[in-house]
Amino acid sequence: MMFSKSAKNRLKFFILLLISASIIIFFIYNNLKKNTVYFYAPQEIKNLSGVPANKVRLGGLVKEGSLKKNNNTYIFVITDLKNEILVEYNGLLPNLFAEGKSAVVEGFLRDKKYFIASTILAKHDENYMPPEVANALKQKKSK
Amino acid sequence: MTAGSIGNLALIVCIILNIYLIFSLTTRVRKKNFKDLKKIKFINNSIFILLLVSFLTLIYCFVISDFANVAVYQNSHTTKPLLYKISGAWGNHEGSMVLFVLILSLFSFLFSNSKVNEELKIYTIFFQSILILIFLIFLIFTSNPFDQIDPKPLQGLGLTPILQDPLLVIHPPFLYFGYVGFSLIFSFALAGLVTNRFNSLWSKVSNFWILLPWSSLTIGIGLGSFWAYYELGWGGYWFWDPVENASLMPWLAATALLHSNIVTLKKDKLYSWTALLSIFTFVMSLLGTFLVRSGVLNSVHAFANDPYRGVYILSIILLITFFSLVIFIIKDPKKSSITNYSFFQRDNFILINNYFLIFFLSVVLVGTVYPIILEAVLGQSISVGPVYYNTILTPFLFVFLFFMAHGPLLNWNKDKNIKLKNIKIFLPISLILSSIIIFVFLDYKNIILFLALIFSIYLIVSVIFDWIFQKKLNLNLGRLFSHLGFGLLIFSIFINAYSSKEINSAMKVGDEVKTQGFIIKFQGINKIKKDNYEEIFGNFLVSKDNKQVQLTPSIRKYNQPVQFTSETSIKSNFITDYYFAINLSEFEKDKIMVRFYYKPFMLWIWFSVLLIAFGGIYQTFRARNEY
Repeated sequence: MMFSKSAKNRLKFFILLLISASIIIFFIYNNLKKNTVYFYAPQEIKNLSGVPANKVRLGGLVKEGSLKKNNNTYIFVITDLKNEILVEYNGLLPNLFAEGKSAVVEGFLRDKKYFIASTILAKHDENYMPPEVANALKQKKSK
Repeated sequence: MTAGSIGNLALIVCIILNIYLIFSLTTRVRKKNFKDLKKIKFINNSIFILLLVSFLTLIYCFVISDFANVAVYQNSHTTKPLLYKISGAWGNHEGSMVLFVLILSLFSFLFSNSKVNEELKIYTIFFQSILILIFLIFLIFTSNPFDQIDPKPLQGLGLTPILQDPLLVIHPPFLYFGYVGFSLIFSFALAGLVTNRFNSLWSKVSNFWILLPWSSLTIGIGLGSFWAYYELGWGGYWFWDPVENASLMPWLAATALLHSNIVTLKKDKLYSWTALLSIFTFVMSLLGTFLVRSGVLNSVHAFANDPYRGVYILSIILLITFFSLVIFIIKDPKKSSITNYSFFQRDNFILINNYFLIFFLSVVLVGTVYPIILEAVLGQSISVGPVYYNTILTPFLFVFLFFMAHGPLLNWNKDKNIKLKNIKIFLPISLILSSIIIFVFLDYKNIILFLALIFSIYLIVSVIFDWIFQKKLNLNLGRLFSHLGFGLLIFSIFINAYSSKEINSAMKVGDEVKTQGFIIKFQGINKIKKDNYEEIFGNFLVSKDNKQVQLTPSIRKYNQPVQFTSETSIKSNFITDYYFAINLSEFEKDKIMVRFYYKPFMLWIWFSVLLIAFGGIYQTFRARNEY
């Protein structure tokens, strides 16, 4: 093949660029996939085909009268008025966590009815509702 | 005539003057008349003064609690302390947009009164006034701070309590001065491209206009982070929250820019790259504005919630990016010639670190924007956790530190002898020091922490070495400060991340908790009543190895609007912070939820940020004095 020297150099440079760019993109993409936390409303969990192995977030209302304490473990129900999921949480309840109010918990699903939370996400405004929860509730109302 | 209508009038006069300014600049450019700028300067100065008047009027409305004004009504209250009435003026969407336009104009004002080639000056003011016009229209038509309500309400709705903090009074002005300040270098770069004056003289002038906002943005980010640390009560200071990322992205771009501009100045090359970065930095600022101001984020900061605003800002970004890139492509600055190439040259190392910075920037950009796009396209809501950022950035950061240590010690020109002979000095010192730290002082042994210590100490040693053998100290002092600060910052961040401790418990008065080498004693409670809140203090005694620290965290109940906040109590002994926060739980009314954090090297993180910023400030005015 007849390439001039500079063309060969440019080709080499281009290939090198392509390789390093694809490695970096692959690296970012891989990491992104591993560390993406999906948000679900209880109803969405019911509709999932399997139980996600990754960390997920679950948001909805804390059902009135469902909060119980057993040793250091709290157990309560998160609902979007369509489906309910039992949540187990081992830690401190934040200021604004209360029955009848919205909450978002982060952790793993043991099965489709039972959630083991590692964190309760603290929101700073009493009236603040995560957009996901607001949407889930709005959809419920409009139906 | 009310104060509000004066402010409103000032804005409208501004927009008229601004349109007039753009027209008169256009005719001048057509006639190639670049002499006698008195009239242009006069109009430009008047616009700035009118905006200042408008801003001051808004502050006045907040101070006298003029609730006929919607912005005041929604964000203020008569019982609020004066300081927070004033800061309420820029603590909300409308007010902060006034500040935005004011700073755009401030930079135009400062620039027009500086010594620059007339042709460049005219074009720069031209581009800057287009930016001002775009944002004035946005301000007046979608976020007018002087909108009135009739009848006038008797009382305001109040300012969110977590925003009632002395730091948040100064945090937004610093941040805005920084990232809106990058507009000037953007306009100046376009002016340079259009006039074919993108040369080393351009570089020399632009140094000041990059460093000034960069230093301010550094301080702004530091203040925001410090606020998050002591106010949010979770012991952290950086959450990779999209709003934090929004300010970090322009910072990373600007850091790359300020370095590539040095190469442009010294070696007469990298023109395209510097021009592109100038454009890109401001685009990142605009993106940040979009993220924060449009309410697309589901984060604690999302207080403006109006789709029109978001769509308008997004269109602005696309428009500005498109036109500036068109200018860039048509008027590509002169090509630099590569002569005398050698890998071990300072400019090469700067360029390599530029690539790294752009890589860091893309990682942050992807992590911030990907969830938004995914939600817009697929309706899936996701969030990207800190683990994503930490695992990707960390390994590259180490290599970055290595290049950063050697770059400044290399010559600008090819030099056969120097190479990296200093490795022989730096590596043993950093190895020994970090081994001592990790094996003697820290009980936690982790390979990543070890590597982080090695590389950050490596950088610190190289800066000290550079400092001692520096022949032109006053010329390079800024760099030495900033680089030293960066090394210290990484060092402190990693020690902090790997040896912090956390204790959580539910306690009653008189309870004692013993765990992880700490004894926490809950001694008592007292209450205080203030104008706009009630405060309950808990008294805690923390002991560790015979050392005792008294901490008094509290819970505040604000009455306007009714809201609970936790106020932390932090005691620091230069090395370690003892950090305490409490909160109530509706479920267990007899107990208080207690969080205790042991946070080493926190003070050093803040100190490092100050060092970095100080270096920038020093170099800003140093650079000014050179000519």
